[in-house]
Amino acid sequence: MPRPERKTIQLTIDGREVQAIEGTMLVDAAKQADVEIPYFCYEPKLGNPVGACRMCLVEIEGIPKLQTSCSTPVKDGMVVHTRTERVRHAQNAVVEFLLVNHPLDCPVCDKGGECPLQDITFGWGLGHSRVIEPKRHFVKPLALSPLVAIDRERCILCYRCVRFSQEISEDYQLIFTERGSHAFVATHDGHPYVAPFSGNIVELCPVGALTAQPYRFRARPWDIEGGAGVCTLCPSQCNVTFTVRDEKVMRVLARDNEGVDDGWLCDKGRFAYQAIHVDERITRPLVRDAGVLRPTSWERALEAAAGLARHRGRVGTIVGGQASNEEGLLLARLSREALGSSDIDSRGMAGSGEAGAPIPADLARVLAAPALQASVPDIEFAHTVLLLGCDPRDDAPILDLRIRKGVRRHGVRLAIATARPTALEANAKLGVRCEPGGEGRLAAALAQAIDGTVDAGAPAEIAELAQLLRDGGEDVVILYGERIGAEGAAALVRIARALRLAERDGAGLICLPAGANGRGLREAGAVPDAGPGHGELDGPAGRGCAEIAEAAATGEITALHLFGTDPVRELPDRALWRRAMRSAALVVAHASVLTEGLAEHATVVFPAESHAEKDGTVVHPDGRLQRLRIAIAHPGEVRPGWAVLAELARRCGLETGVRHAVDAFEQLVAAVPVYEGLTLEEIGGGGVRWPERPQASALAPGEPTTTGGEAPSGDGRAPDAAAASNGALRLGTYRPLWAAPECEISPSLKFLVPRQRLELSPADARRLGIDDGAEVVVAQNGTRLNATAVVRTGVQEGSAFLAQGLAADSANELTEPTIEVSAR
Amino acid sequence: MSPYDPGSVVKVIRAPAPGAVRGAYRVFGETLRGLKTTFMRVVEGPITIQYPEEKTPVYPRFRGRHKLHRFETSDPANPGLEKCVGCSLCAAACPADCIRVVAAENTPDNRVSAGERYAAVYEINLSRCIFCGYCEIACPFDAITMGHDYEMSDYTRSDLIFTKEMLLAEPIERTPLRREGE
Ligand code: SF4
Ligand code: SF4
Ligand code: SF4
Ligand code: SF4
Ligand code: FES
Repeated sequence: MPRPERKTIQLTIDGREVQAIEGTMLVDAAKQADVEIPYFCYEPKLGNPVGACRMCLVEIEGIPKLQTSCSTPVKDGMVVHTRTERVRHAQNAVVEFLLVNHPLDCPVCDKGGECPLQDITFGWGLGHSRVIEPKRHFVKPLALSPLVAIDRERCILCYRCVRFSQEISEDYQLIFTERGSHAFVATHDGHPYVAPFSGNIVELCPVGALTAQPYRFRARPWDIEGGAGVCTLCPSQCNVTFTVRDEKVMRVLARDNEGVDDGWLCDKGRFAYQAIHVDERITRPLVRDAGVLRPTSWERALEAAAGLARHRGRVGTIVGGQASNEEGLLLARLSREALGSSDIDSRGMAGSGEAGAPIPADLARVLAAPALQASVPDIEFAHTVLLLGCDPRDDAPILDLRIRKGVRRHGVRLAIATARPTALEANAKLGVRCEPGGEGRLAAALAQAIDGTVDAGAPAEIAELAQLLRDGGEDVVILYGERIGAEGAAALVRIARALRLAERDGAGLICLPAGANGRGLREAGAVPDAGPGHGELDGPAGRGCAEIAEAAATGEITALHLFGTDPVRELPDRALWRRAMRSAALVVAHASVLTEGLAEHATVVFPAESHAEKDGTVVHPDGRLQRLRIAIAHPGEVRPGWAVLAELARRCGLETGVRHAVDAFEQLVAAVPVYEGLTLEEIGGGGVRWPERPQASALAPGEPTTTGGEAPSGDGRAPDAAAASNGALRLGTYRPLWAAPECEISPSLKFLVPRQRLELSPADARRLGIDDGAEVVVAQNGTRLNATAVVRTGVQEGSAFLAQGLAADSANELTEPTIEVSAR
Repeated sequence: MSPYDPGSVVKVIRAPAPGAVRGAYRVFGETLRGLKTTFMRVVEGPITIQYPEEKTPVYPRFRGRHKLHRFETSDPANPGLEKCVGCSLCAAACPADCIRVVAAENTPDNRVSAGERYAAVYEINLSRCIFCGYCEIACPFDAITMGHDYEMSDYTRSDLIFTKEMLLAEPIERTPLRREGE
């Protein structure tokens, strides 16, 4: 629903005239007027107040009893007192009451020093208690999950954690059991609380009842410093604060940014910081010497890497999703200007595997038109949100929470058009399944149904979806994954035109790229078919990831430059990439961990920076430029990415003129027309959306030259008849949130690293005689993978899904569209 | 010009020069007057303390080098748990910022203190300490107290960073306490 209009009203708090927006809660209005009212359970991020703690009582003239200011909306002419004897007496009593069972073990409590209960007891409590009865006791400390420790004695029963689980992440795991003073927080049957967003309850808990296991006893608030940064582990690019002690990241906290993350983090972003300080991390340059990678000096490593210049015109560059815009620009310059090759790609998984051809430059440009860009808050206030070929839970988890919020609080209607059932299925009004890889065709059929080129005969589901999008309100936000491919992108252009998304502020598109900074890298020109800012290339387009692999395997490309990625690990068709890397005479990599491909085939490995060490900018999928800042010193001999690339370029004969991180930023601003005039100050801590700047008009979308091809033969929904008939299943892939090297080396996230799971429909499971949880073997062309079967009702008959990006048994090993499944 | 500018001419005012009689009194009379105190004290005998052979006794509340404490046990082979739980409150209270505490968790096989946590690293940089005693006041477990030892000079600054082991150990040379009425 569109954002409601709010008018301003007048009220009096403690004798001060206060202006407030109608509908705000009294406690917030008071805060704006610099009147402090203590509270525990109130947290606007959690939705409607519950009034559980009674700490926020105030006196309102005309109402005989004290009122909870957290759940009383302001009214015109209200007269409020927060400092009277009655209020003070009530506050003293509430503090005394909350401490009846509280152990007050502050010295050993991790919250000590940053604990609202300490502060409020000190500020609003009486200083002594009349209670001499024994306090209640629980076993402690206790693990609520491998990530969160619970101390039930300290809990003040404020409901925050339970509300988070029930109403925000909607995993429905945390509850209160027992009644009255026996109540305590638990899961239904005592199972560990494992959920993708579980870490947020640690930050929500106003006392030390819920604490983070990896941060347990690591530091006190006076031992630490906060460094503002951005998480670049996925495209959500949540804003974070790194807690730093002795140049080590000790924890990661959310840094509220309504336009990005709404104050939440996923557990990967919150806990994968541990990968920065583990022994597995590479902190010195390595060079292969007699077949073994050995630590060496920067000088030797740079000299060896400068050998790229000898492969002029035959160098392929793959850019990992975590690279910053500046690194992307420098890599593109290095590749195009010094190495004479446009074979550079940062799109990763997108546009390969079952998805077909990647989105070509002209369509990408049209889809990036400023008027078509929806912002993240638009998701929450749209009439309808469509998920096309993406699952936010895995692709950009924080947007999953934003969609849930929109559906729950603002009545957003959610439609889902994907091959694999998403995590949001239960919240959706409408869901359309297609066969794996059929998203493009589904989009084309939908475009036809919406713009009326086929008025009759569209399948009922698609007609229904078209109607919802067309008639369900003008503000439609479409989130799409890059896997919709060229065909889907062409259809999306037509859908956007037919729905007139460009004309409405609250409507638009958001593309969820495969790499965390996929959008920024495309805008910086790290794609084969476009220059910086979606610009035209001087020469012909280069090769994408898949073609680079083939060319390297056949010897047309003789050197590979891999920035923050291991193609054997990350990209489809491992066998081909293994061959490609073996055949390449020189493989220069920038990496933090030695994954399989790098350990076996890299010639030179430069230690890469982590996101807490980097200085640069990234672009959020909604066009927000955000700034990465240095929170900790580089460990070991790690050097900044821009410096390594500038030096490498110099040794390859290109003087980039980059002497400092700021130079690289200035070159980026000069190269990308829509960033014109941008300064680091303007980006600041919260980022700036370039589609909202006046300079955005520099991006003239023009007309796409690529069309979706001829009218599609199917609508992508029916499973391939040939595949189903011989008992084989059509294979779809997805990248689980936890399938990342960072999670594998973070000690406390190891337990989440997924094993291969085969998701299949109940009908197929029955036909193949496979039970839920059975061990199965997936075979294709002699490649065999072990997996655990998971029977999911949402999966279409004839389709099956496997995870990509795992260390072992990964779907990247497979190349064909169908698989054979048998019980192990 | 600033209101306090003294100008360029500075006048020095001197006392008038003394006459002959007054001058002679200054030289001898005043000296003898001063020596009177000296001669009166001679009969009391010397009170010089022959440091370092002899040490100045200190008052019981004298704030010298810190000590960390254990719970007492009767068995010397089996010392008690450390009282310090590594809460860092002393570090927070310290105005000279010279205490560093890194806490860790007690486990059943490695129980160091009585609480959930203990100080894995506890260091006081005595070259920075101003011996204010705030750490002692802040400690909720009386784990750190100011001892009486004041002999802490050393040849290198880094040797003045006292570790937990050094602070837990009994000081070898005890400083004498002042007796009642002394
Ligand atoms: S555990 Fe913390 S957040 Fe949850 S109810 Fe208790 S005090 Fe509130
Ligand atoms: S959702 Fe993505 S950006 Fe946000 S914390 Fe998690 S991994 Fe980082
Ligand atoms: S005595 Fe004062 S200055 Fe010295 S360690 Fe204690 S608090 Fe710090
Ligand atoms: S000495 Fe006392 S105040 Fe300091 S860390 Fe130990 S227990 Fe805490
Ligand atoms: S904050 Fe108002 S009742 Fe808890």
